Amino acid sequence: MLAHLIEGFSLAFTLTNIFWMLVGTILGMIFASIPGLTFSTALVIMIPFTFGMDNVSAIAVLIGIFSGGMSGGAISAVLLGIPGTPSAAATVLDGYPMAQKGQAPKALGMAVVASVFGGIFSLIVLMLVAEPVARVALKIGNAEQFALVVFGMSIIVSLSESSMAKGLLAGFAGILVTTIGLDPVMAFQRYTFGITALQSGIDIMPVMIGAFAMPEVIETFWRVRTGRPTGEVKLAEGEKVRTAFPSLKEMKECMRTLIVSSAIGTGIGAIPGTGGPISCFIAYDRAKKRNPEVGTGVMEGIAAPEAANNAVTGGAMIPLLTLGIPGDSSTAIMLGAFMIHGLAPGPLLFQNNGGLVYAIYISMVIVYLLVLILQFYGIKLFVKVLDIPRIYLMMFILLMVIVGSFAVHLNYVDIIIAFIFGVIGYFMKRFGIPTTPLILGIVLGGIIEKNFRKALVISKGSYLTFVTRPVSLLFLVLAVIMIVRPAISAARKRSKAAAES
Amino acid sequence: MKKLLSVVLVLALILGMTACGGSQTSTTAPAAPAAPAAPAAPAAPAAPAEPAAPAAPKTDFPQRSIDMTILFGAGGAADLVGRLLADKASAILGQPIVCNNRKGGGGAVGYQYVLGTDPDGYNICWNSTSINVVYHQGNMEQDYSAFKGVAMITKEASCLAIKAGDSRFSTLDEFVAYAKDHPGELSIGNSGIGSFNHLVAAALCDELGIEVNHVPLDANESTTALLGGQIDAMMNMALDVIQQVRGGEMTALVLIGGNGSEQLPGVKTMKQLGYNLDLTMWRGITVPAGTPQEVVDVLEDAFLQAAADPEFLSFCAENGVEVAPMGGDDFDALMASDDQLVADIMVKIGLKQ
Repeated sequence: MLAHLIEGFSLAFTLTNIFWMLVGTILGMIFASIPGLTFSTALVIMIPFTFGMDNVSAIAVLIGIFSGGMSGGAISAVLLGIPGTPSAAATVLDGYPMAQKGQAPKALGMAVVASVFGGIFSLIVLMLVAEPVARVALKIGNAEQFALVVFGMSIIVSLSESSMAKGLLAGFAGILVTTIGLDPVMAFQRYTFGITALQSGIDIMPVMIGAFAMPEVIETFWRVRTGRPTGEVKLAEGEKVRTAFPSLKEMKECMRTLIVSSAIGTGIGAIPGTGGPISCFIAYDRAKKRNPEVGTGVMEGIAAPEAANNAVTGGAMIPLLTLGIPGDSSTAIMLGAFMIHGLAPGPLLFQNNGGLVYAIYISMVIVYLLVLILQFYGIKLFVKVLDIPRIYLMMFILLMVIVGSFAVHLNYVDIIIAFIFGVIGYFMKRFGIPTTPLILGIVLGGIIEKNFRKALVISKGSYLTFVTRPVSLLFLVLAVIMIVRPAISAARKRSKAAAES
Repeated sequence: MKKLLSVVLVLALILGMTACGGSQTSTTAPAAPAAPAAPAAPAAPAAPAEPAAPAAPKTDFPQRSIDMTILFGAGGAADLVGRLLADKASAILGQPIVCNNRKGGGGAVGYQYVLGTDPDGYNICWNSTSINVVYHQGNMEQDYSAFKGVAMITKEASCLAIKAGDSRFSTLDEFVAYAKDHPGELSIGNSGIGSFNHLVAAALCDELGIEVNHVPLDANESTTALLGGQIDAMMNMALDVIQQVRGGEMTALVLIGGNGSEQLPGVKTMKQLGYNLDLTMWRGITVPAGTPQEVVDVLEDAFLQAAADPEFLSFCAENGVEVAPMGGDDFDALMASDDQLVADIMVKIGLKQ
């Protein structure tokens, strides 16, 4: 092992490799911070350029994009209120309010530190216990994934700020949206109205861009038209000069959240087929359960999702490296790159290319250091966006809605979808219906149906499979508790109040 | 001053945005527009392209970059082989070939896109047997004849695999015997309803006279499900099985087509075992019907040359993909005969619409 470690160091620590890591990290951060361009896109673009590189450089640049990208999604989530990637959807919930309060640098600083914490945490898990974790993750089959997602659905409860009914309305509307397209098991066309582009379903990116960005745009334009103030965001006094990174005291307060969220992210990342967005919602929900102030624009609300989504990077590498199974589209692209370079991830990789495996680990550490350095200087630059007069900023965002949603699949239908959901989002805001459960519904809807139906095909139609498999049962019981508990405590409060009066 | 600065900033952001939007596609030639984030990055590592003049050029095609539609997701078998091939072909054509994953609808989304473009050779499709399946499934109006074959490149065989160390069976005979004793009990994962592997699995069970539960998953999911013990066997492309067999996680039982694979020593094909079943999945380049013949010729030459590239050949050999280049006219005939074959199987398994 020590020999491998030394070999890994010598492989990773070359000027060329560090250069490629830097390129990858910057590319990933930029792509992730622009809604519509995800780091998966950056990975695909980079693949042909890796054909001519040596093994370690090729992997270094891809790891840079993957890890740098996961951390970049928070930038637009905090500053513009539009998540740069689906994995940053939960970051908007506290990040944007913090920016509105004039604490944008602080919010971004926390996001970076949480990202790096989550990434390194998952890397340690990857290095120490990859094999056993992968074996456990394999046991998470379709029935368990269905139960996990049902558990995830219960988060809607904590995302519905004022009214449970409105939250559920938005959540189920999101699930309904995922039924558009070819059904995931029988490939039967549903609600496609003969439009071929709809056969692939409604992608989350245009919906997210539309629903998060358009309401603000419409509102601002309306205010300008009616001659009302546009609500400029100013940085709070003192925020400009102070360093953006959280203080030791703030870190201490968030430590528990960071550790729990990183663990959640690593665990969910290791399960093939789930991915980043779910993990950050679950982590956010855990943080909110502990600190009711989460949701109003506090550090913990940023720490939780950002630690979780970066922990997914190390988590997702677990099944990829140990078994050669990619957990999501990003790791699938990386698997492709490995194979083009004649490396087969799996048990043999550790035997035949042990040094290379350690070079991957070391590359991940270097990438996270680069993230830390780049963001430290970057934040000061990024927050300048807030100096732009709001009306100009909104015009830019409108342009971004169009270009960003088109860029997802190079398909004009996605622009129309973004605008439709933009208008829906505006009216949801007017009527006080939260938009985040809608996004959660879309994230979970596709997975829930697919796994439900596949689990039933495997069990030959027996519904008992969901309760006879212990892990599945556990998640379902947890979900029931999560849904029922708030209702009980509310009822108790009411009866107590009634008794007192 | 501050206002001016912010206007400049907005402009810069917009410029950056639009440039990024344009570079969503991936380019495979050095001359291609680089991603704005790393201006220095892409130029260096890409292979130097020496445009070799195609034989007897009657046309000045290609004058600009060519858009290649890949029907399935990035990182999969179709994507990998296609991208490598495009990289080689673009060096021969002297123009970049831009690969775009237009996935969805089992290929229908990508097919519709290509068929909606002008038949001028600038939009090509990395096609496969899925054209026959999608049509007969009723998810597409046009059939294979809407495309003109340019060059068939590869043939891939499917492989039936079980988890290594399964106590119930370790050979095909034992598997069949167990399945006959327990009809309908075994689950075989495939790559989705109507996928090539689904058709092959159904045809296999028909030929062997066994009754199983077909589980529609996808290439990665079936690997996960088999290793996790949710299903008893999987039908997957040899490329996806080889790594797991080498790693000692799976045992390959039988190949459904081709002449056996060097990467899977000792694994027989159905034909070698005396059964009447030999199905392989072809992949090749097609263009919309109506593309001028001289353009098709230029593309055909370039792709057939690319298919002979040593790096491409060694990648395919390493991963159990048989390179079987075939010219455009023979390819058209193959698509027609395969169409009948696929239709027959789909009638048998009740998927024909």
